[in-house]
Amino acid sequence: MIKTTNLSKVYRTEEVETTALNEVDLEIKEGEFVSVMGPSGCGKSTLLNVLGMIDSPSGGDYHFMGEEVGRLSERKRSNVRKHNLGFVFQSFNLIDELTVYENVELPMLYTKVPAAERKQRVEELLEGMNIMHRRNHFPQQLSGGQQQRVAVARAIVNRPKLILADEPTGNLDSANGDEVMKILSQLNSEGTTILMVTHSQYCAEFGNRIIRMLDGQVVTENLVKQYL
Amino acid sequence: MFYNYLKITLRNLRKHPAYTFINIAGLAIGVACCLLIMLFVIYELSYDRWNTRADRIVRPVVEIKFGGAHMHLAVVGSVVGPDMQRDFPEVQANCRFRQYGSYLVKRDGNGQQNIREDNVATVDSSFFEVFPVDLLEGDPRSCLTQPNSMVISKSRAEKYFGSPQLAMGSTLVLENEERWQVTGVFEDIPENTHFNINMLLAMNGNREVQNDSPLWASSNNFLTYLLLRPGTDRADFESKFAAYSRKKVNETAQRIFGQDISQVESTGQYVRYFLQPLSSIHLYSDRIAEFQANGSIQHVWIFSAIALFVLLIACINFMNLTTARSAHRSREIGVRKVLGSPRSSLIRQFLGESLILSGMAVGLAVIIAALAMPWFADLTNRPIHMPWSNPLFWISIAGGIGMVGLLAGIYPAFFLSAFEPIKTLKGEQGKQAGGGRLRSALVVFQFSTAIALIIATGLVYKQLNFIQQKKLGFHKEQVLILEDAYALGDATQAFKNEVQKLPAVESATYSAYLPVPSSRSDQTYSKIRDFREDQSVNMQNWRVDKDYLKTIGLELKEGRFFDPEKFVSDSTAIVLNETAARLFGFGEKAVGGKVYSHIGQVEGQSRPEDFIELTVIGVVKDFHFNSLRDNIGALSMHLGRSTGLMSIRYQATDTKQLIADLEDRWKKTAPGQPFRYSFMDESFAQVYATEQRIGKIAGIFGLLAVLVSCLGLFGLATYTAERRTKEIGIRRVLGATTAGIVGLLSKDFLKLVVLALLVATPLAWYFMNNWLENFAYRTEIQWWVFAIAGVLAIVIAFLTVSFQSIKTALTNPVDSLRSE
Repeated sequence: MIKTTNLSKVYRTEEVETTALNEVDLEIKEGEFVSVMGPSGCGKSTLLNVLGMIDSPSGGDYHFMGEEVGRLSERKRSNVRKHNLGFVFQSFNLIDELTVYENVELPMLYTKVPAAERKQRVEELLEGMNIMHRRNHFPQQLSGGQQQRVAVARAIVNRPKLILADEPTGNLDSANGDEVMKILSQLNSEGTTILMVTHSQYCAEFGNRIIRMLDGQVVTENLVKQYL
Repeated sequence: MFYNYLKITLRNLRKHPAYTFINIAGLAIGVACCLLIMLFVIYELSYDRWNTRADRIVRPVVEIKFGGAHMHLAVVGSVVGPDMQRDFPEVQANCRFRQYGSYLVKRDGNGQQNIREDNVATVDSSFFEVFPVDLLEGDPRSCLTQPNSMVISKSRAEKYFGSPQLAMGSTLVLENEERWQVTGVFEDIPENTHFNINMLLAMNGNREVQNDSPLWASSNNFLTYLLLRPGTDRADFESKFAAYSRKKVNETAQRIFGQDISQVESTGQYVRYFLQPLSSIHLYSDRIAEFQANGSIQHVWIFSAIALFVLLIACINFMNLTTARSAHRSREIGVRKVLGSPRSSLIRQFLGESLILSGMAVGLAVIIAALAMPWFADLTNRPIHMPWSNPLFWISIAGGIGMVGLLAGIYPAFFLSAFEPIKTLKGEQGKQAGGGRLRSALVVFQFSTAIALIIATGLVYKQLNFIQQKKLGFHKEQVLILEDAYALGDATQAFKNEVQKLPAVESATYSAYLPVPSSRSDQTYSKIRDFREDQSVNMQNWRVDKDYLKTIGLELKEGRFFDPEKFVSDSTAIVLNETAARLFGFGEKAVGGKVYSHIGQVEGQSRPEDFIELTVIGVVKDFHFNSLRDNIGALSMHLGRSTGLMSIRYQATDTKQLIADLEDRWKKTAPGQPFRYSFMDESFAQVYATEQRIGKIAGIFGLLAVLVSCLGLFGLATYTAERRTKEIGIRRVLGATTAGIVGLLSKDFLKLVVLALLVATPLAWYFMNNWLENFAYRTEIQWWVFAIAGVLAIVIAFLTVSFQSIKTALTNPVDSLRSE
């Protein structure tokens, strides 16, 4: 599904040049659950953003589903994004002015899903996440765990092939964190590919492969023994 | 998707009520100003457009520079119209108007009250051929052909007779003696016409026309309109007219002076004719003897510019506030982009938001405009209404919503939609509230405009004050003017005697000629018993009585005024003003000097016996008998009967009682005649009504501009304070004082206002200097006007900003740090 060759990302300010990704070669197959770990500033979030096509690489190749996407225009990238990717963020990134229901519905507005189907899919998901009773609430009226469940619902409502999760449990207590990890594992078992950045070894082990990064490079890759 | 945008917009507006208020109120004020002014401008531009023949009607006018006078006249000689029709196949018809001031009008029969009618004109029978005015009763071809036949407007027919049908064939009595038969009734002429006439009298039988000189430019009393045949090439006709009128002026010069016009012109004197298109008269013509005070294209421009600027200021608020609070929206933008929203869709969303806001603001503006309309109509002196039933109005409103929405929204839409999703999600973008430099430039623009308007207001009022304080050469205070005194008939002298017996009355005088708007008459006098262009002086000749000097408060410089004891010799005596004495070349000693006046019409080479000799018995100091826009011209006074107005100088003890006494005497002496009066100082002030209007408008809109700019500044200050909360917390922890923080936060804004002052000063100076050149007598532009405007703007801006700064500075530092 994902194959990168010599993928690099360099940030330049007036005087300083920071290499966030240094010639990363990586391959992720369909159906995998890959966790990315490493110290702060090692480039794991950058990797996620570049792979998620919300940031463009400075060099190297990036093939997504057999197609070179690293040098696509923003318009084309956004088109690939909305049909294939789902995002979950540490800070949830829900739109405060929209209700739970509307937040989850939003991606389908961009992919032009008919209204009736939108309604059905949102309701199904909210039922599944056990937050249906909160459908008309605004994000700030919810607990962190509830907000992240809404964010996950939003990420999967378009049935993406790949979910990119950037420290999805970082802002949650352990009970709520567990809840979210279970949902992700469940999705993976149903066939969705997942790439997750995390600081927590515990969470990382929910995946089936762990990539460790340091100074913009992938240093080790281990297979995880399956718990579930 | 649209529904989604709408929801977000409305929820955002509800969530940030202060922001919503500033945006909508600011925009609404801007749009309301713009709406009112546009309605005024549209009304001004609509003058005479109702006339379906407007593009075929022209008016010959004349500019005369002769004998020390320089006049732009709307009137020409009575022969001009007929000559043109005779000699030019392009002229289909001509129609002349002669106005003799107001008339006392009553129905025929006993016991009828006189009513004063101002809008009466004597016209040619071709009136209805030239002007497409609907005739409700009567035959347009014949209704004005017979002597003493008149055609009146529907409203006058109703006023005097009850209906147009009843008016037909009835008789009206004018000036208590002339009987005129109503032979037609026309639909009232629309108000947006440069003439407002209610009664038309047949020209046939007019003695002035019968006796008028066949020469062009020897006398000028007729407003003349030419109807050109369809398809006439206007430019070609104008050049033919220029050549033809020059030939006619040449004939006059040769007949009167025995000289070619080119010889006269070599001395810098000239007579030039022009053609004015009908539709440009209202806005472009400001000549002597217009039907009524016309509008001014200058005012249309000034008003339009003010409207545009106030609207721009309001739109700038919107842009500035939206971009300044971009931090609040950055996450939403990032999320939408991550979810696959293309940039175009975000641009649409933000434009949609600004359109929604614009729609609300315009809606509110329409309400504000409707409420302010009566006041505004009064201010502009025009019968403007909200055109509720006009579909074009609603189309324009919709267009206005679109235009304002785009104008205010286009920059923020592009600015916000360009955010990079990765940065917004990391919270990096929006924090700096980008576009800072542009925002500063826009604030400078806002305040420059506002300050320039304040300076303009200051200078207009300074000029008005200058006019009020100016030594005019006469005393306008405590003079009451009784109008229509000619209605007293034979009892004029008896009435004057009665008036003078009243204890409050100091003196009284009859004369229709006053140094406030009233009659004017000028004539060319000669230094010798012949007309030679280098020996002629054109001057006002006013008929006055012996009490004029004292009552009006003129000052004698030399000699004496008219004396009843010397009535016989004084009948050929003349009193000059200083300018006239100078133009005649009398030097310091004018008394005893001789000037010559031509008797009868000037039709050819004059003989010495055509002149009568007048002896100068006195010189009065120059006084401003016209407005201060003009230089003081030559003026002469002689003893004569002129009973149009009676001026009464009184002691201000009990004005009410005086008026009651006067009315009592009037009613006894002239029963059935209207008793009307005015005060000289009020008439004087009316001359400057236009300037007062301009001053008021600049002042009001200037204040609104300041208000709207401050709303914007307040909003910006709020967001700046919000953005710098952490910085302020840290500074407070490190020991900064409240005053220090307030200074820190206010400094940046005040810099912009000072910069605006620097921009506004030369601009305002330039425009106001131009404006003041309308006046021959004008106030100086002094530095302190600019200083006051600047200080005012800075103080207001400081108060606006410091409210927010103080609030922020007083916050507990822990709170501000915690909020990060």
